[in-house]
Amino acid sequence: MVQAVQSPREERRAARRRAKAQRKEHGAWYPRWYWPSFATPGTLYLLIFFVIPLYVVIALAFGTVDRYTNPIPVYQPWYWSGLYMSQVLNAAIGDNRFVYLRTFIYIITASVLCVGISYTVAYYITRFGQKRRGFYLALLVSPFFISYLMRMLAWNNLLASNGYINKILGWIPLAPHNVAWQTGNQLTIVLGLIYGYVPYMVLPLYGFLDRIQTSLLEAGKDLGASSVRTFFRVTLPLSKQAILAGIVIVTLPMFGDYYTHNLLGLSPATSMIGNLLDDAKGSGLGSDSRVASLCLVIMILMLLPMAYYLYSTNKELKER
Amino acid sequence: MAHPREGWKSNGGLSRRQFLARAAVGAAAIPSMSAILAACTKPGATSTGTDTSAVGTGGYVVPGVPYPLARQDKPVTWAIPNDNQPIASGLQPETGATLQVYNWADYLFKAVAVSRFEQAFNCKVSITTFDTMDEALSKMLNQQIQADVFFPTIDTLGKLIGQKLLQPVNPSYVPNLAKTVWPLFQNPFYDQEARYTVPYVVYSTGILYRRTLSGLSDSDVRAMTNTWDLLWDPTYKGQVGIYSEYRDALAAALLRKGVTDLNTEDPAQIATAGDDLVALSKATKARDATNVAYQLFPHGALTVTQSWSGDAVGAWSYYPQYTMSNWSQGGYWFPQDRVGNVNSDCIAIPKIAKNPVLAHAFLNFMLDETNSADNFSWVGYQPPLNALDLSTLTTTEGYYSAQYKYGVPYVFPWMTDAIVTENDLTKTGRLEMELPPNVDKLYHDAWSRFLSGVGS
Repeated sequence: MVQAVQSPREERRAARRRAKAQRKEHGAWYPRWYWPSFATPGTLYLLIFFVIPLYVVIALAFGTVDRYTNPIPVYQPWYWSGLYMSQVLNAAIGDNRFVYLRTFIYIITASVLCVGISYTVAYYITRFGQKRRGFYLALLVSPFFISYLMRMLAWNNLLASNGYINKILGWIPLAPHNVAWQTGNQLTIVLGLIYGYVPYMVLPLYGFLDRIQTSLLEAGKDLGASSVRTFFRVTLPLSKQAILAGIVIVTLPMFGDYYTHNLLGLSPATSMIGNLLDDAKGSGLGSDSRVASLCLVIMILMLLPMAYYLYSTNKELKER
Repeated sequence: MAHPREGWKSNGGLSRRQFLARAAVGAAAIPSMSAILAACTKPGATSTGTDTSAVGTGGYVVPGVPYPLARQDKPVTWAIPNDNQPIASGLQPETGATLQVYNWADYLFKAVAVSRFEQAFNCKVSITTFDTMDEALSKMLNQQIQADVFFPTIDTLGKLIGQKLLQPVNPSYVPNLAKTVWPLFQNPFYDQEARYTVPYVVYSTGILYRRTLSGLSDSDVRAMTNTWDLLWDPTYKGQVGIYSEYRDALAAALLRKGVTDLNTEDPAQIATAGDDLVALSKATKARDATNVAYQLFPHGALTVTQSWSGDAVGAWSYYPQYTMSNWSQGGYWFPQDRVGNVNSDCIAIPKIAKNPVLAHAFLNFMLDETNSADNFSWVGYQPPLNALDLSTLTTTEGYYSAQYKYGVPYVFPWMTDAIVTENDLTKTGRLEMELPPNVDKLYHDAWSRFLSGVGS
């Protein structure tokens, strides 16, 4: 077949017509790199502010010191020294095991109680908040209007040995008197953690619970389940993801938390993993490498709840 | 008159062409240079020469440490290398400059060190604070801080001078050094001939105790067979503070057991001191009182706490109400034979100081009798002044108190233990000095047992 000879102008017109027809049929056409390129700012951000610094931390953890005991990061893995990492790990199974154990207990207790407190609050707002939902949410966020430091320092006055809490307890017969709240009292730290982190849990829980359709609950009741049974068979399983997300949101910062202890306790009997990091600063020869090693250890610890969360969300998605 | 340091500054900044050219060279040079250097040699494996005389002579020479360690009986003379000479004499202080002071928190009376100095020298003074000496050292080394005046502790001088972070002091700008301070500081053991530093304050580390509420009278405390036991006394459970300065805390444990060499290298003594601190934590649930002893104590949160003499003396301004009955609550104890933990702090000029002449003027200014004593009246840390009559400190009202008519003497009459004499530093007192790294590790290990709250 002989192709009709077209002038260049006609050729261009024909190409435009073809493109127009294609757009009509398949929607707009974009080059292959177009959509992924939207991730460029995020990727760059991650690279510059996370991946590269993380490598510097690793290089420092496995690095060495100069004659003046200044840290030297080592960027070539074949020169890495495990000296400081092994010191940190040895301490973790040695004296510091108390600190790790303590931290785990604090975090588990605090997050379980956080779930209990925030679930009831979020449940109440979604089911019974009615028109005042916005108001309740504003109330929930209101503590954030006061700086975290101020809120914690305010506790100091309440918990002091001659503070208001002890004074009030003093009026109540049979109540414990002269409680040493701030010196080695585990309860204070757990309460401090809950107080500090509970709002972070309520908000995601509320977001999830709000999306549960009331028709599902009505269906449960129509099929003869009691309110309690509906809650346990319908509402709770549907909010499992929310609880997990909330736990991840509160436990991750708790692993690095050192100021709750510093502001409310300051006795070594209640120090947490975050305090180990704080104390490792200026701990003599190779202290910077030990700080970096501890950072990595804490990161790995934090990956555990994160990994479980990702695993269970993945499973959920597949089941859908 | 142009300052000699202005020579290298170009007049109108760089031209655009120069800027681009230099930026290009710089951009190309920095990564490749460092990459090549880093890839070729094993990092940290620099020459390990043991010749410390280039940094300083005398002192206690330890293999692997590139500078001598100063000891009370082994003084060190720091070298003044050719590439780190003091500034020339006879220069005028920089005018209209901002003097950058790098110091601990609450360690300078701003009415004196800032306002009065600003007026006298027509400049601005800006104070940046640090929390720990380690933090200060690393920021100085990375040049994150470009200070004109720095307040180091005397046990860091080897590191500072060895790495050329300080410049020698030109004594012609600091005539007050020879005039106003104790003879000891004309030629201190940690810096013979006062080549790099001038003294700032002297202090001891003892115990701050509540005199009235706890039934501890001054005479009781002083008559105890071992007053250090107060810190270990379970009677004061929850009311005990200890400094989380590892050397000071361990020194208290060492002194309690009669070990007076606070730089001991005996592993058994160090380990025992660590165990004793763990026992202290168990018995009293002691709190970390560093930087807060002078605040916690006045508010009643502590009954017995380890304390620097300066914190004990200066604590009065932190009481919620200014009454004599409040102030008389705090007593200070230091071993009666004066064998205990004493020290002195100094002032130095970083090598990269932008206003070195003004910095010298600041050193001289702080050594002035009036300024120094006025600063003492607020800071609570005693300057080693000849003019300060130690016998009248308890009856003379300081400048700060007099301004507001509080009627508070430099030192309360019941706190005479907090007054440091020249004898304390030269004869009876024991100074914590820098340790060889492997010994320092033993101290840190002992301390970390306490910090982890073992068994408590």
